Amino acid sequence: MTEPAPILEVRDLVKDFGGVRAVDHCSLEVMPDAITGLIGPNGAGKTTLFNLVSGAMAPTSGEILFRGQRIGGMSMDQTFGLGLVRTFQIPREMKRMTALENLMLVPAPQIGERVWASWLMPWRVAQEERAIQARALDALKLVSLHHLADEYAGNLSGGQKKLLELARTLMAEPKMVLLDEPGAGINRTLLRELSANILLASVERDITFVVIEHDMQLVMRLCDPIIVMAGGSVIAQGTPEQVQEDPEVLEAYLGGRRIGAA
Amino acid sequence: MDVIGALDYTVGFAVMASIYAMFALGLNVHWGFTGLFNIGIAGFFALGAYTSALLTTPPPDPALFEDFVFGGNWAGIPFLDLGVDLWFLLALGAAGAACGVVALLIGYATLRLRDDYLAIATLGIAETARLFFLNEKWAANGSKGLYSIPQFLGDLVPPDRYDYLYLVVALASLAVTFVAVERAIKSPWGRALRAIREDEVAAAASGKNVSRFKLQAFVFGAVIMGIGGALFAHHVRVLSPITFDPLLATFVIWAMLMVGGSGNNRGAVLGAFAVWGIWAGTQFLPGVFRDPNLRLFMIGALIVAVILIRPGGILGEERRVTRV
Repeated sequence: MTEPAPILEVRDLVKDFGGVRAVDHCSLEVMPDAITGLIGPNGAGKTTLFNLVSGAMAPTSGEILFRGQRIGGMSMDQTFGLGLVRTFQIPREMKRMTALENLMLVPAPQIGERVWASWLMPWRVAQEERAIQARALDALKLVSLHHLADEYAGNLSGGQKKLLELARTLMAEPKMVLLDEPGAGINRTLLRELSANILLASVERDITFVVIEHDMQLVMRLCDPIIVMAGGSVIAQGTPEQVQEDPEVLEAYLGGRRIGAA
Repeated sequence: MDVIGALDYTVGFAVMASIYAMFALGLNVHWGFTGLFNIGIAGFFALGAYTSALLTTPPPDPALFEDFVFGGNWAGIPFLDLGVDLWFLLALGAAGAACGVVALLIGYATLRLRDDYLAIATLGIAETARLFFLNEKWAANGSKGLYSIPQFLGDLVPPDRYDYLYLVVALASLAVTFVAVERAIKSPWGRALRAIREDEVAAAASGKNVSRFKLQAFVFGAVIMGIGGALFAHHVRVLSPITFDPLLATFVIWAMLMVGGSGNNRGAVLGAFAVWGIWAGTQFLPGVFRDPNLRLFMIGALIVAVILIRPGGILGEERRVTRV
């Protein structure tokens, strides 16, 4: 059997902010259908890497290939169109739109997004809306937010907003999802639900996940393989066990303590 | 004032309020739904009004010391008449199209700017338009302005009752615009605009081409403003650059939207009638209260009062509960 091709390849990627080099000749590969963990100390360049891959920022140099296609410097709506979706460390919801509307926004392309569609073919738009609404309600059920469908997204709690972000990525029917600290600020019960949902989506919908997370229990339970970043580049990768034993990781990341021992 | 006089006055008031309501709807598309900070409404107002007026008035008469060079005289061409003053619809369309094209060019250049820069750009463009019509006398007769702008179906009713007919025209235009805006905003297109208003980055992360939607909204709102400008031109029948000063052609419209309720089309129309009612009605107050500055002050006080009591405006934006 041949080795499957990586879904995402990052080659020699560099991002400078003025004098600060946030991502420093970073190279990594992400294999399809896995849940890859991306960990590292604060300032390691994890979120910047997400920003570069998703198109929120353009790289200073280097290459990003998604399913063999160069995507470095694309905009976020373009990478979205290719099936690459991300969430934000601090949830960015449309505050004065309901939770349901936040999700109904996502599917693309929608006939009703043409300005004249509502004037010339309202019945087709209404038909499409019914289908999208059904999907959005399903996605809300999946993250147990369906009772809040008509609530303004801005009124949800921090943890609920995180779940809404996850639901938003699923609405996109993506090939790959970048989750930036999905567990931050979520209580234990919700957290179990969240990781169950990620696992379910990974298995049932063949979605590849890359997860930035500081909650080591969550990472070790959910992710395999794990990539460790420090100082803007990858210092180690492997199975949770390999990473936990890697002396360089222990040195750079935790100052010697065993990861997950807390 | 007798009853007939009062009715005449009310009809004239309602015509102006309806025209202003068009502008409030246009601004609602820009600001209320998309978050585009347009403080250059006067530019589209002037462009729409002058476009329609120049196309329909007779050619200039040198004996009257007229300086402008072009008068389309559409109202005088039998082919564009067909007994129902078809030229009027064409002129409204041309005014809307002119504003749409200008908005497309401006929007392409400026919509990638941050909010506050767009505000400065639109303000600058509005002033440029006003100064262009003031200084380039060949274009629209400079400060002497245009006059004898033709009336739609002017020979159908006696001149002193013409406002009654024009009220029907203005209300019909407002109704069509209202339905068009309302439908578009409640459609997925409008949902994308509101998402951009809430958070551009999140809208892009949801796959929306932010600059394309912003450009569409900017053009759509500008077309409405252009048609409003044309309706205004054929109502007052006299145009000069002084008509389009920022106070009466931009900030009054902002006041209307803020008072009525940004993000609510019924609110925009209500705000137009309320603010224009105060603006026009206060001139009947006795003595010192009629002072223009004091009337301006009262508009300001109304805005402050509404914002304090109902921050979202009288009607405010409604939560969309979509259960099809």
